Amino acid sequence: MEMFLNLATILLALALMGVSYLAYRKSHLRATLYLTLAFLLFAFKKVIEISAESRVIQYDIGFIVDTLEVLVLLLFFLALWKR
Amino acid sequence: MERRNEILNYIRNRPGVTFRELARELKLGIGDLQYHLGKLEKEGKVFSRKVGRRRYIFPAGFEEEAQRLLMAISTETRRKILLLLMEGEMNQGEIAEKLGVSQPTISYHMRELEKLGVVKAWREGKSVVYSINYNPETLVRLIREYRPGLWERLADSLIDLLAGIGEGE
Repeated sequence: MEMFLNLATILLALALMGVSYLAYRKSHLRATLYLTLAFLLFAFKKVIEISAESRVIQYDIGFIVDTLEVLVLLLFFLALWKR
Repeated sequence: MERRNEILNYIRNRPGVTFRELARELKLGIGDLQYHLGKLEKEGKVFSRKVGRRRYIFPAGFEEEAQRLLMAISTETRRKILLLLMEGEMNQGEIAEKLGVSQPTISYHMRELEKLGVVKAWREGKSVVYSINYNPETLVRLIREYRPGLWERLADSLIDLLAGIGEGE
């Protein structure tokens, strides 16, 4: 069940990334580009977390995950601030 | 050859015609039309652009204009604005009210449509009035045939959402 939820999270993040990128291509709004990057980084973060849980990655991922979380939130903030 | 010239003339008279419309109007079979269009594209006399789920066909020399037109009709709100302006000139407030969309969203789309040269704007007192600045027949034909996919509709909603944020009137 947990694996299914993880997979759904990644797929949704990638779908939202696709929608944001399509919106960027149509509008050239900077906000849509920030959202594209935010969703991409979010999906990447999830992949790293799953890899660590399943012991594909052996070292401590705490710093990477925390950094990615800050970056994602920063990009959301930029999307709202700089249209 | 005569058939091919007939197709070419039809495209020249109606830039932005779709494959389906061309087949229907000229009463041509799909295979036949595909063959002639392929030849015309190879000869550089026509070109096509796929937008949404439709492929629009334009005569050569129309590249820049086709790009502008297809950008102009690429979102649902812009298509609605253009159709609304065909009823007559309107200011931003009237457009926003009739479409039930926020003024900042309309403001963003009007700026883009003006940049693309599809609408023109002028000041009347305190408000800016807009009207269509392109052949309405071509615009209606392009809009009528436009079939956005699910992803495009989602992207259009996102554009409207973001365009409506942070820009007060």
